[in-house]
Amino acid sequence: MPRNLPKRPLAEQLDEVVQAMLVSLQQRPEAAPHRTLAPLAAITRELRYLPREEFRATLKSDLQRRASMSVNEGTESAAAATAKAVHYMRPGFTSITPYIIVNGASQFIDFLKNAFDGVERLRVPMPDGRLMHAEVAVGNGIIETGDANEQIPPAPTDIHLYVNDADATFDRALAAGATSIYRPTDEHPSGDRWGALKDPFGNNWYIATPKDWTPGPEGLRSVQPYLHLREAHKMIPFLENAFGAEDLGTHKTPDGRVLHSTMRIGKATLEIDEAHGAYQPKPCVLHVYVPDADAMYAQAMRAGATSVEPPTDKPYGDRSAGVKDPFGNTWYLNTYLGR
Amino acid sequence: VFLDGPGNGVATVTFLAPGSYYSRVMMATRRPGKKKLPRKSSASREAKTSAHAEEHLLVEAAQSDPARFDALYELHFERVYGFIAARVHDRATAEDLTSEVFCKALANLKSYEWRGVPFVAWLLRIAGNAIIDRSQRASREHPIVDDPPDFGAKHDLRAIEHRARLFQLVKRLPEAQRRVVQERFVDQRSIREIAERLGKSEGAIKQLQLRAIERLRAQMEGGHA
Repeated sequence: MPRNLPKRPLAEQLDEVVQAMLVSLQQRPEAAPHRTLAPLAAITRELRYLPREEFRATLKSDLQRRASMSVNEGTESAAAATAKAVHYMRPGFTSITPYIIVNGASQFIDFLKNAFDGVERLRVPMPDGRLMHAEVAVGNGIIETGDANEQIPPAPTDIHLYVNDADATFDRALAAGATSIYRPTDEHPSGDRWGALKDPFGNNWYIATPKDWTPGPEGLRSVQPYLHLREAHKMIPFLENAFGAEDLGTHKTPDGRVLHSTMRIGKATLEIDEAHGAYQPKPCVLHVYVPDADAMYAQAMRAGATSVEPPTDKPYGDRSAGVKDPFGNTWYLNTYLGR
Repeated sequence: VFLDGPGNGVATVTFLAPGSYYSRVMMATRRPGKKKLPRKSSASREAKTSAHAEEHLLVEAAQSDPARFDALYELHFERVYGFIAARVHDRATAEDLTSEVFCKALANLKSYEWRGVPFVAWLLRIAGNAIIDRSQRASREHPIVDDPPDFGAKHDLRAIEHRARLFQLVKRLPEAQRRVVQERFVDQRSIREIAERLGKSEGAIKQLQLRAIERLRAQMEGGHA
């Protein structure tokens, strides 16, 4: 048979085999017409069973949820544990998680891995290869990310990152493509050993190793959003009223400008200060787990937030609402439904 | 088909004796097409032993902390999925059953005992049983069904290893090639559709498909990723 066939490019011949195989319900007998094609055809037969990448990622995160819920359930079945244990935070998350929207989310994930030992938890790609959503664990915190698009512009975020060795992490971040703002120093007013750098995606990173720091409610979280705001002092009552935040300590200048403030929401903290010099406002996206998304949404609206999206059940198992604060930051208020 | 013990929920099927499982997994870890040379045998046995010891540690870690089950999932997803996918008729069923297997495995992890039986054998036993359960359910509901899964003939751990490695290699293809493979074989799109989606000519897509498959073939033969 091969000799009777006109000489055609191998790519064409292979595609005929693939096409015949894909439309056929039957397993094809050894249909490969010649020696070059046969081993390639064998590979394509196996590729019919190739799993969907999204399925692999989704099942993984589903198992992670089940695993974290079954921790205290003894030998009870995962299904029973899932039905029972409903908690308002998705397992692995704390109250505040930055959602950093970038151009080049895959590269950003690589940066998080190379610079900060990030561990990819979930990656949901779109058909065009860009990422709809991804989660990377950094220390005991999580950073969510996704690719920007026409509707959703990039939203870089400044992050205060606690690490064991600020100097070593700083050097690794430089090697991973970041640029130094200043090297870690003991002279920072926080008392921590503290350095600052900028990554290629527009985020600032404040790399710190704590010395005499007052830990937050759960101890230090590795990942803390740091918001530089114009008229930052107005953010404090807004956070209190909108999200029930608590002021854990604010330092102001004599004329009332915020030098630094730590605000707690639920079990996590964020920091704010008055925008100055190189540290200018960057409207960012924060993902906050709250016990009751509907109630918190209503409360935030009363406090002066504007609506981005009223509360809705999301297919990924959260009830979620979106609001914008008067400073232009977007807050997603989510309650984990525990499926 | 029998239940592994009252109430633990893991149905098992005896399609191979545990001893032969073990030996076949051992065989499957050998590179295809290469005869084991006697002088290498002790070193390779050591390598296998340490790989098994490593897996044993992963299992123990997951038994004491279910959050560590991740590592086992990463290690075995392709095997379990490939095993199931080749035995059922559609992707949705394969995904369903794969979820079922890993959820059952996670829920019953404490009942897994080492005794030299590789973890993958335990997973595949759950998988085999899930497939049979499903086909029996189907045959009760719809009396006319396909043949039940034929484990005797198809159950070959070497083939499972081979397929799992191929799936792993697809993930490491150059991006354009990987996308064409995904779109063609997973999404089952036509060459024309893929060409439109990627903004390339049909000829270019066929070339990418060929290059991807040639590369996979070469890597499978080389035995290395």
